[in-house]
Amino acid sequence: MTTGTITTTSLPALAVTGLTVRFALGRARGRRIPPQVHAATDVSFDLHPGRVLALVGESGCGKSVLTGALLGLLPANATVTGAAGLSGPAGSLDLLTTGRTTLARQVRGRRIALVPQSAATSLTPVRSARAQLEEVVRELCPGTDARVRADSLAERVGLAPADLDRFPHELSGGMAQRVAVALALAGEPQVVLADEPTAGLDRPLVDRTLGLLREVADAGCAVLLITHDLGALRRVPGAVDDVAVMYAGRLLESGPAADVLAAPGHDYTRELLAALPSGGLVPIPGQPPQLTDLPAGCAWHRRRPGRCDGGDVVHRTGARSVRCRALEAGPC
Amino acid sequence: MTAAPPALRRDPAPAASPGTRATPAPRPSRRRAAARMAVRRLAFAVPVVLGVAVGVFALAAASPFDPLAGYLGDRYLTASQDVQDRIADELGTDRPWYLHLLGWLGDLLTGDLGTSRSFGQPVVSVVAERLPWTMLLVGVALVLAVVLALVLGSWAAARRGGWVDRVVTPLCLLLQGTPPFVVALGAVAVFGVGLSWLPVAGLTDAGAALSAGQVATHLVLPATVLALSQLPWLLLSVRQSLLGSLAEDHVTGARSRGLAERTVVLRHALPTALLPFVTVLGTRLAELVVGAVLVEEVFSWPGLAQAVVTSATELDFPLLAVLTLLTTVAVLLGSLLADVATVLLDPRVRADG
Amino acid sequence: MADRDLRLPLGVGVLVLLVAYATLVPWVAGVDDRVTDFSAARLAPSPGHPFGTDSAGRDLFVRTAAGLRVSLLIAVVCAALSTVLGAVVGAVSAAAGGWVDRLVMRLVDGINAVPHLLLGIVLVALFRGSLVAIVASIALTHWTQVARIVRAEVLSLRDRPHVDAAVLGGASRWRVVHRHLLPAALPQALVAAVLLLPHAVWHESTLSFLGLGLPPHRPSLGTLLEEARSSLLLGGWWTLLFPALSLVLTTLAVAAVGSGVRQRISAPRRGATLR
Repeated sequence: MTTGTITTTSLPALAVTGLTVRFALGRARGRRIPPQVHAATDVSFDLHPGRVLALVGESGCGKSVLTGALLGLLPANATVTGAAGLSGPAGSLDLLTTGRTTLARQVRGRRIALVPQSAATSLTPVRSARAQLEEVVRELCPGTDARVRADSLAERVGLAPADLDRFPHELSGGMAQRVAVALALAGEPQVVLADEPTAGLDRPLVDRTLGLLREVADAGCAVLLITHDLGALRRVPGAVDDVAVMYAGRLLESGPAADVLAAPGHDYTRELLAALPSGGLVPIPGQPPQLTDLPAGCAWHRRRPGRCDGGDVVHRTGARSVRCRALEAGPC
Repeated sequence: MTAAPPALRRDPAPAASPGTRATPAPRPSRRRAAARMAVRRLAFAVPVVLGVAVGVFALAAASPFDPLAGYLGDRYLTASQDVQDRIADELGTDRPWYLHLLGWLGDLLTGDLGTSRSFGQPVVSVVAERLPWTMLLVGVALVLAVVLALVLGSWAAARRGGWVDRVVTPLCLLLQGTPPFVVALGAVAVFGVGLSWLPVAGLTDAGAALSAGQVATHLVLPATVLALSQLPWLLLSVRQSLLGSLAEDHVTGARSRGLAERTVVLRHALPTALLPFVTVLGTRLAELVVGAVLVEEVFSWPGLAQAVVTSATELDFPLLAVLTLLTTVAVLLGSLLADVATVLLDPRVRADG
Repeated sequence: MADRDLRLPLGVGVLVLLVAYATLVPWVAGVDDRVTDFSAARLAPSPGHPFGTDSAGRDLFVRTAAGLRVSLLIAVVCAALSTVLGAVVGAVSAAAGGWVDRLVMRLVDGINAVPHLLLGIVLVALFRGSLVAIVASIALTHWTQVARIVRAEVLSLRDRPHVDAAVLGGASRWRVVHRHLLPAALPQALVAAVLLLPHAVWHESTLSFLGLGLPPHRPSLGTLLEEARSSLLLGGWWTLLFPALSLVLTTLAVAAVGSGVRQRISAPRRGATLR
């Protein structure tokens, strides 16, 4: 298990550069420029095989939009710019410029898979888990015995094959989560995006889900774990390798998990950690900003004036990068 | 909730959580739920049928028309008072209406439906002769309407704003505003009179023997018109519920797994969209019966629905009463079947639901 | 959507034109059922007879207008009666609650389970040729939708503070229903009444078409279409086209008005509040 040591020498499985997502809100009367939702702005990160990157932030900061953008599943009013280079044995392509049919037929599930938010509702309610898993197996790996492969996928994520015969409403939260992971792994993807996989689960199930994703990464996948649960990352050491912190659609800080969690570089990260039970339960004052009205650089100084310089310059030290400098120095 | 040690990988069986069972065997319990639903619906249907019978007899009693006239027809005017009294006594029409009704219900149970004056034969044989033709017409129309609604409705929803959607949806709104008999007359005008493509009356050409080919060509227009009269509601309901289910999480989930769009629509979006569709189908059955009355009348189709109009025009009370009751039973049975089908289609319905 | 906003003005416009046609044309031209001119029977549309003539040589432009007038009048009366009946039953049922409510709702389900036209046919067959029977057959079968809507509205309103205040202030149950609940449920009931209109037009024209409604010489959309049935086989397409067109236009216009109004009542304002 890799903990803290940085091995960025390997080629990234997915390199996201300057990813920006805007939603048009329709034509507003009397305004020349239609209002836009700045869902994500200039987001860059690399996912490496065998590593788990945790993307952390409060609800509504634009985390989940990223998976939709990468998989081409955003609604029609979204504009996506930037680059997301997927490279691997099957060749390289840019997810953001690839056509919808290619994404559907050659990329989704096969090279980059999603573990969706709320696993139970992402399953079709009138069909059994097995029917849906075997269907994906037949579609993604033609020629294999769907039943046998479904059973082995179930074993791999810690489900009894008999559990697959249940309908989605008969699955517990944890079982539904495992089915979702099994569905994501069916096509042997190089990259797995897990969108809030631990939301709504109780603590033991959260820890087990993180463990499951760790195993997926250890088997060679590059894993992106989107979460708002910084506490779980702290509680389970080694669950993730790297951390990126997102606020109002921008990454404010990123680096090796152990370093960032021990000595946050951005004031926002520090406040997030302080809001945890282990950090003293100090609530963050104010509200996350409206994504329709954002400043050019770091939006954090608007919520906590005087805490950071609000600049738009990314400061790098080694593997760590911080978008703007905290003004009150010192770890939390 | 007890925290399981991380070493224990399997989730605790969810038997303890409400609403789930330890054994994944949903079918017997679903069947039980369906049976319970059927019993509940029957308990509702019996009073409705009785209510309709009471209503028909009470109305007949309140109407200016003498029930005896319904039995005697033209003879009512010529028969002497003595003869009238004797027959009235025999038939029981001189009794208060509720006693008449009770006697009639008793006869019904023994299989004696009385005699239809307008057809000059027992009501039983009128029904036996005409029911198959109505079933043929309604059956073909229903299948046609359901198939068209599913295919075109899914197509319109899956390619929202595409040419099928832009053609079919306004046409449906137009059809919704057009009564079935106007559609029927329009079909007669265009395909029967204008183009002379298809026959517009009866089961066979005049004088031709009854054959499958004859009936098939004579069935085309009535069945199509009857299907069209119900199509807009069915199609728009498929389209609407499919649009709804295409926006649901489980469809996005299926799409993100890399399934082909066809599989996503047909195997994930459509199955959940079908549940409201079956319910709509159940509620449209009454309208289908109404449509059958009009279509049989326009196309002189010798079915039961046409007999409803004949018996009403001729005041053939014994036949009218039986047909009213029969239609009510058919509609109630149809909606019962739709409800049971909904239960059987949806695994989420629990035995105690 | 842009075309959705157009529905209400478009529907109102078409409806105004139809009503003007139905009222003004017979008034100006005069309708006399007895005047027949068999030398002018079944003339195709021409400048003199824009809608052609029927089998008795009567001008269809005037007769269609007269038919539309009768059908609309019957429909309005029926819709009004259904709405009053439904609103009262619905409000009483919701306010009374308990077994009364359950009984009423069973009754509503029961009436909805039986084909409406069938009840209409039985009623009209027994009371032949009576306008009251036609109106009653429509009103008695169509009040259930209004009752359901008003009941739901009243139930949702019953727990609001101003109603509680009235009850605590000692107002009688009937007074609460009458003064507080019915007025609040009125907009929904009115929309339901508007949407009943096409049903009533259909119902009347269907009964008349089957020869069970108005007598054949009295022009209504139904009797005109019944006449068209025989003329049609002789090639008189116009006898079908114009009455059918006015029937369909009326239905569509009313439906557009109904859904437009309903949308304005119930749609929450769409704003740029997406986060």
